[in-house]
Amino acid sequence: MAKVLIIEDDALTAQEIQDALVDDGHQVELATDGRAGLLRAVGADFDVIVLDRMMPGLDGLAVLSTLRTAGITTPVLILSALSAVDERVRGLRAGGDDYLSKPFDFIELTARLDALLRRRDGPAAVTGYQLGRLEMDLLTHTVRLAGQPVDLQPREFRLLEYFFRNAGQVLTRTMVFEAVWEYRSDERSNVIDVHISRLRKKIDPDGTAPLIHTLRGSGYVFREA
Amino acid sequence: MSSVKRKPSWSLGRLAELRRAASFRMALLFMALYGVIAVLLFAFLYVQISGYAIARIDEWLPRGRNAMLRGDIAQMRTRVAEHAQVDPENDRPFALFDRDGQRLAGMFMGPMPAKVQDGRPYTVSVDEPWRQHVRVRSLRAAAYLMPEQQVLVVSQDLAEIDAFNTLLLKALAAAAAVALLMGLAGAVLIGRRSAARLDAITDAIQAIVSGDLSQRLPAARGGDTGDDFDRLVTVVNSMLDDIERLMHEVKGACDNIAHDLRTPLARLLAGLERAQRRAGSFEDYQEAIEAAIGETLSLLTVFNAMLRISEVEDGARRAGFTDIDLALIADDAVEFYAPSADEKGITFDYSRGADLAIPLRGDASLLFEAIGNLIDNAIKFTPDGGSISVKLTRDGDGARLDVQDSGPGIDPLEREAVFLRFHRSESSRHLPGNGLGLSLVAAVARLHGMHVGVVDSARGCHIVLRATAHRQN
Repeated sequence: MAKVLIIEDDALTAQEIQDALVDDGHQVELATDGRAGLLRAVGADFDVIVLDRMMPGLDGLAVLSTLRTAGITTPVLILSALSAVDERVRGLRAGGDDYLSKPFDFIELTARLDALLRRRDGPAAVTGYQLGRLEMDLLTHTVRLAGQPVDLQPREFRLLEYFFRNAGQVLTRTMVFEAVWEYRSDERSNVIDVHISRLRKKIDPDGTAPLIHTLRGSGYVFREA
Repeated sequence: MSSVKRKPSWSLGRLAELRRAASFRMALLFMALYGVIAVLLFAFLYVQISGYAIARIDEWLPRGRNAMLRGDIAQMRTRVAEHAQVDPENDRPFALFDRDGQRLAGMFMGPMPAKVQDGRPYTVSVDEPWRQHVRVRSLRAAAYLMPEQQVLVVSQDLAEIDAFNTLLLKALAAAAAVALLMGLAGAVLIGRRSAARLDAITDAIQAIVSGDLSQRLPAARGGDTGDDFDRLVTVVNSMLDDIERLMHEVKGACDNIAHDLRTPLARLLAGLERAQRRAGSFEDYQEAIEAAIGETLSLLTVFNAMLRISEVEDGARRAGFTDIDLALIADDAVEFYAPSADEKGITFDYSRGADLAIPLRGDASLLFEAIGNLIDNAIKFTPDGGSISVKLTRDGDGARLDVQDSGPGIDPLEREAVFLRFHRSESSRHLPGNGLGLSLVAAVARLHGMHVGVVDSARGCHIVLRATAHRQN
């Protein structure tokens, strides 16, 4: 469970985000304008902040840069109706950690917040992963399933590594695409499914419990059973 | 501009209009400049010519004195008197004065100069009471000191020179008047011509403003003369072509939006109404909600795609340009989409030079998506078991990407239209998609100064994306 601060002036959107996060088991506080949000963010210790870009009065970017100037490093996810790339760049430059343009799927929001929360814990230096019968050795760049080497294309290897690194977490198609292919994606595309199903064929052979699970909606989870 | 109306030629209003014409005013300005130059030139001529005549007289004056000095000095008085007799018109009057200024002889009727500057010419007005018409004459004179303190004044009448000067002034004034008149006529002519063109152009613009988008500004009579008007007309006309194309596109897009969005909206509504009427169980409702979410998502996808295209067309994304390699992006796009072709049993052939690098400034994600869209389209339209070839090659100092498939191809008549928003050829109506893919490709290409087009092909569809290396900025 994490403490989340939502700074959003639109009451309906704020309520929906709050519901989604509470459903996810987070403890949520709501601020309905930039000033109130800034005061709350400075006054209490939050794990992550969801910040609307466009608000009357003190707007999102101003709140963000004030926070960063004040030395508050809480991860911030910016929500914006502006999708232009320079908006995104400006948001990230002002100290934002992730950027999501409206409208968005709630699974996209919660999955990205989870990713930010995990990043807060800091990446551990690892040399390999293991889940069930599947092992990945990052030093020798090899993958074994029940001891047998699995032949993976370079991209498949990166895909699997990304799943390992975020095991147990919900990952949306967009997140997978942006992390593994390293292009920005503004469009929902199903092409990624083809790649995942190819990886599945190699690491989830028939008759074994699958490791890659498809979630209803548009996400995946990598976990045992 | 709203009060521009045709007026009859040469009415007063017409003249007032002419006065406002820029070229007329320019011609007037040149005329004024020319006038100033002409005045200066004429003044110079006048001073030079009349100065020359005076100088000739000034040269003669000492010779007149010398003639008097020839012979016996004591006889000078007689010679001066005799000179007057051989000059009945008194054109060159002489006079001999004694030390007190008393005239001893001669017909020079002026006084002896108060201070005799030996031989220095001066101009003097002299009253000659015996003359009937002009009693006062201008004389050019010089006084010379003689022995016994007498003073000899030698002079010549300036009437001839004055007459010549008057004539000269008249001639110069006449020349100036003729020149100014011709200049004015020229200015009026030029002004009228440009005013007439401006009228024609204004009329055309009025017609366009009132809704006739097919109107174009008139070209100069007698073809393209390449003057500044013509350049302006050419530019404005090509702008009008663009606007007309955009207007048609917008209109077509509106029709298509209405069509493409009405279908999912109608399905959404029907599903919700059915659920309201019939659904009994929790599962029924859940199913209806899921269907509604699906329809809404596909609507959102269309809207997002539209917004993104207009964002790309806006050109604002150039701010995010970085140094990229088109070859690597093509590799990635092929790698991303090729498995989908594989799933359909399509033979996918990708070829490019092993060490080909196409560095340019651009937006990697947009180019990835554009190339991806071309490949995705090819996969969509190629029947199972068909083939697709993607080829990246150097083209002059740029590059070209060829995407060719073995699908049904594109009707030659539709080759331009497929890049318009929401255009869907008849052959693609049954396929999923929103008709925005190629529009996005075209927008991305335009943003990067590239060109995308459908080319002739023996089989299937052949699309070429051309990048010119040095025109990325």
